[in-house]
Amino acid sequence: MTTLFINEEEVTVSSGTSILEACRTHGADVPYFCYHPELSVAANCRMCLVEVEGWGKPAASCCTPVGEGMRVTTHSESLSKDREMIMEYLLINHPLDCPVCDQGGECKLQDYAVEHGSSHGRYKEIKRAVVDHNLGPFVSTCMTRCIHCTRCVRFAEEIAGTGDMGVLNRSDHMRIEGVVEDALASELSGNLADICPVGALLDKPSHDVSRPWEVKRHKSTCTQCPQGCDIVIESRGDEVIRIKPDHDMGESWICDRGRYVHDSFRSDARILTPSIRTDSGMQVVTWDAAVEKTVNLLKDKRVGIVFSPDWSIEGLTSIRLLHDRIFKDAKVAFDLHRRDMRPFAFEEGFGMTPENIVTADEVVILGSDLRQRLPILMQGLRKRTFSNKPVTRIGAMNYRTNSELTHDALIRPREWGAVIARAMQQLKDLGKTAAGMDAWLSAVPERHEAGKLLADALLADSCALLVGEEIRSHADAAALIHGLDLIARASGHGEEGRDARNLIPEGMNASLLSAVFGDIRTSVSDLFDAAHDGELDALLLIGSDPLGDGLFSMQAKRAMGKVPLVQVGAVAGDVSEYADVMLPASAYSEVDGTFINMSGNVRNADEPLSTVGEGRPLWKVMMRLIQGFDVDVPAVDVREIRTLVQGYLPSLAVLWSDCVDDAWHMPVARQKDAIFLPTGIAPVMALDVISRYSMYREGAWVRASKSLTEAGHIRALDDVLLHPNTLQAAGLKPGACLVRTASGDFTFDVGVRDDVVEGVLFIAKRGVAGDLSCEVMASLGGGQ
Amino acid sequence: MQLIKHAFKTWMLWELVKGLALTMRYFFKPKITVEYPEERTPLSPRFRGLHALRRYDSGEERCIACKLCEVVCPALAIVIESEEREDGSRRTTRYDIDMTKCIYCGLCQEACPVDAIVETQHFEYASETREALYYTKDMLLDVGDRYESQIAANIEADAKYH
Repeated sequence: MTTLFINEEEVTVSSGTSILEACRTHGADVPYFCYHPELSVAANCRMCLVEVEGWGKPAASCCTPVGEGMRVTTHSESLSKDREMIMEYLLINHPLDCPVCDQGGECKLQDYAVEHGSSHGRYKEIKRAVVDHNLGPFVSTCMTRCIHCTRCVRFAEEIAGTGDMGVLNRSDHMRIEGVVEDALASELSGNLADICPVGALLDKPSHDVSRPWEVKRHKSTCTQCPQGCDIVIESRGDEVIRIKPDHDMGESWICDRGRYVHDSFRSDARILTPSIRTDSGMQVVTWDAAVEKTVNLLKDKRVGIVFSPDWSIEGLTSIRLLHDRIFKDAKVAFDLHRRDMRPFAFEEGFGMTPENIVTADEVVILGSDLRQRLPILMQGLRKRTFSNKPVTRIGAMNYRTNSELTHDALIRPREWGAVIARAMQQLKDLGKTAAGMDAWLSAVPERHEAGKLLADALLADSCALLVGEEIRSHADAAALIHGLDLIARASGHGEEGRDARNLIPEGMNASLLSAVFGDIRTSVSDLFDAAHDGELDALLLIGSDPLGDGLFSMQAKRAMGKVPLVQVGAVAGDVSEYADVMLPASAYSEVDGTFINMSGNVRNADEPLSTVGEGRPLWKVMMRLIQGFDVDVPAVDVREIRTLVQGYLPSLAVLWSDCVDDAWHMPVARQKDAIFLPTGIAPVMALDVISRYSMYREGAWVRASKSLTEAGHIRALDDVLLHPNTLQAAGLKPGACLVRTASGDFTFDVGVRDDVVEGVLFIAKRGVAGDLSCEVMASLGGGQ
Repeated sequence: MQLIKHAFKTWMLWELVKGLALTMRYFFKPKITVEYPEERTPLSPRFRGLHALRRYDSGEERCIACKLCEVVCPALAIVIESEEREDGSRRTTRYDIDMTKCIYCGLCQEACPVDAIVETQHFEYASETREALYYTKDMLLDVGDRYESQIAANIEADAKYH
């Protein structure tokens, strides 16, 4: 610890802290442009000058470490003069166009010009102008306004890891350049507009639309991925202008998916009013008429309920209430990506906090495109690169990451058993065992060398296994996860505090879903097959879009043509063309609700926006339906529904009674009796099938968003991908090829990439071959 | 003596004479009544009447949608919506002033960095409905077009005092 004096006040900070940081933590105001707490120190704006007693000239406080007994002055006459001169220098080339600049009102340069600048300019010469760049659909530029603080360059280099912003030339010719073709490569590019202290980099979708003083800020939770970042929704009236990370809650960055999805909140895809299908198409009706029609369609019928996990806790529990009171025998499903419905030894959710994962000795990513799935966690892993901590990945494709991978192994989905068995064998040989290991080992005859990476990582003191979609969606997932559970426990990573087991869920609220729906959940594909085969009379779809998302679009399409469909949701999606009744429900930005993220953190969003149209929070819609069936309504306000939720999750009472968001943590379900041995699915076909996830295409909200759709087009890979050797072995060339699967033969244009494992057919879920997502295996026929 | 004075004033109707004298003085003085609407008083260049949105000589509207008038308006009478126009410039898509809310304080005019919103010397726009007093962007631009010479002259006359 170092003790120093800031403005004659004695403060103690840890050694090595910069003077600026010491001033910031102790509330002494020092102006700065280029400093940012998450970025490296550049010290090029010179705005943060302070005086240190005994030093001949002022010091740049951002790059000067504190010293014992230092006497720092942050305000003096000569400093004011220095700051005035620096402001004059920065404003030489800065245009005076604050009235048309979106940053105006929240601009550091503007604020400091008032606070520290001179009231008139002396510079009469011609100002320079700089050419703007097209940085893609999210960031707009006005480079003439740039003051060369290089925050964006450091962000691209250090945080995003793409390095696609850079500095060219020197002095008056200096300019910031984006090294881009169509768009910035980073999935965090929206943060550039946040970190630019002036109006050089701005938010493109909200460009020229609003002013900072017009917006109201609503704290909320992003439900676009299981990370569930804390966000602040900025709205003008009820129109969302921007979404930003909630700095108060410690979020520094959010991804483009969560940030730019908001244009779908007011898109044409929103379900605004109750409507029913008539001969002439969908017709807007009153709530009463729509509920009556729903009751007619569903009363005393065999019903299948499919819902999305992204609703608030209150909404999800109300679905269970509807099930228990009206549709006791209904099939209920929500896992659009799960083939294996047997219980998992560790259910979806994280046993570790993201902070612990980032600081763990070893991290192993098992079959996940983590950068697309959880961009913010991947950004955390990137920090490991700077502290030389290893990241290992085992998976089918060289998914782009922004962290350096220490070890990387490409394996086929059918080899997962062998990989885990190899790791298990190694642990067993070292004398680390767990009950049930022998039986598991003997069920898998093969060994795959990639398992050594897994075992080596598990031998470390702290280790994080990030189990991804390749395993979760595996046809034999329960057995693989049981195997992973065994090796984690054998290596001591099963106990509280050293837990390494993290199963990346598909969406939000994973741990709640296991608790509330664990006993009644069924497989989505079974449910749709049952509807197709006449075992169900009607479908109730609550927010889910199985035609657009998930693996079972083919089954969903078949089923929806057969039986009547009631759709409850906020955004229409592809299923709407089959819907007989549509009931509007509020979006996640529009409800007073509670959400649980993948690591069990709970956040209450209690400052919602008003609902667009006639939508109501989901729990109200469910209660209205219960009322429609002439059954007593169990809850009439949000407090009552929360009391009912506590029936399923008693510990939630603490959260709602004390209104403390952080204090409550929901543990992930562990099921000790989920013992399954690998069955070894007979490899009847030559290729495994993996359906690729894209953060710009997955989810009905995202597909309704124009800017994300544009980004999706820019970043799309080929719809059908193979390793060139696989294609060559079959005697084929890239182009139209025949793909044989259990559901039939199809001809697709096949592209090649050499950073994928051989023997796997990659299909884009939303591409031409998206319906093949349900397949596990395929083979190649002839070219055409 | 006092008694005589009093009697004289009483019997000679002195107070009446004094009053009539005042009446006659005003009767022959020049008149100051202005016979509105046939006659009008002169107006100051700073007179704050009906608002107008101005254009540049090229016909391009001046307003750049900075919304400073909207935020400074103490009566919340101004509503602005904006977006990027096709040529990349920042423009309003909606600029409404509710004249029934407006208190004619002139702060919008003072806040405007490009002299786009101004108050003219026109004040005879009373209407029989409230709706007619809700001025949209087109109406305000139209006012500007009609009174541009007057507005420009006023601004010039007032410029030396800034």
